Amino acid sequence: MEPLQIWLVRLLEQDNPVAPIMRTAWGWPIMESLHFVGLSMLVGAIAIFDLRLLGVGRRIPMAAARRLVPWGLGGFALSILTGITFLMTEPNQYIYNSAFLLKIVFVMVAGLNAAIFALTPFGRQLPDNGGATPRSAKVIATISLCLWVATIVSGRLITFYRPGICKPDEARFVATCIP
Amino acid sequence: MSLDPFLLWLESTSLSVWVREEPSIYAFPLILSLHTIGLGFVAGINAVIALRMLGVAGSIPIAELRRFLPTMWASFWLNAVSGVVLLIGYPTKALTNPVFYLKLLLIAGGVLLIRYIAPRVFASDAAGEAAAARMRPLAWAALICWVGAIFAGRLLAYTHSRLLQGI
Repeated sequence: MEPLQIWLVRLLEQDNPVAPIMRTAWGWPIMESLHFVGLSMLVGAIAIFDLRLLGVGRRIPMAAARRLVPWGLGGFALSILTGITFLMTEPNQYIYNSAFLLKIVFVMVAGLNAAIFALTPFGRQLPDNGGATPRSAKVIATISLCLWVATIVSGRLITFYRPGICKPDEARFVATCIP
Repeated sequence: MSLDPFLLWLESTSLSVWVREEPSIYAFPLILSLHTIGLGFVAGINAVIALRMLGVAGSIPIAELRRFLPTMWASFWLNAVSGVVLLIGYPTKALTNPVFYLKLLLIAGGVLLIRYIAPRVFASDAAGEAAAARMRPLAWAALICWVGAIFAGRLLAYTHSRLLQGI
């Protein structure tokens, strides 16, 4: 994986308009705050939707709960966009960070899980008010909640797995920078 | 009157030292993670309630959103406890920073608002719909409080003037 990581860091380190803005006094703190606002929007929508599938708030028709999906996706987009600004400014702090790589895996699996729900019969023909949810949908909802919580945890752990300064031409590069 | 002697004592307690110095991933990083999970559920569920009052997802029977209050309050108390533990770890950092008091004010505002809103909006669908229409400014205020609390909380990492006594 090292060649891919080195290539990615080089690609991201190329002149980009984002890094100078991020390095101003307010750039990084504001982007981080927005990252957390996006996280909250996503978690809020996910909480209502997945807990409804698990039987909380049964009078809410699934069609009504689905109205929250655009807000969840909006929050997700906000977090992805602000996340990209971090990645573009300090690529080696993320690309060589095992907590970050784990976070990306969690997000991708959560996305796959949501896609399975949205695009296959598992998520279709769910009962409206009061009806019991099929077990398959409950499994998907549980997995979704767990994966987003895992995403938050691995995101918070990024700080504690910082690789130090990573330059591919340094002697200890492989030992200190490749997770 | 200076807070410093009290802060110095607090920083010398074994819990404070443990929060700062225990290298295990199950200490400080876990507490911080729990605080962030709680943040997502508290701000997120409050935001959904406020947005519903403002007309988003109007087909959700408004009073049924009360079923999510226990999750919201459980997350709130998770954050109150994890927040106090983080505060015990770095009391000088937070208590000498005006932004920390702003964060507490915004959280207090959000809590007072949901405590005022919930019994009125969740009484029944019909009464709740009327109450929500009346209380739209309060829904906006709630959104501002929770977004503001997130900003203030994040800025704590950047705006402190002192980290510990003597530092």
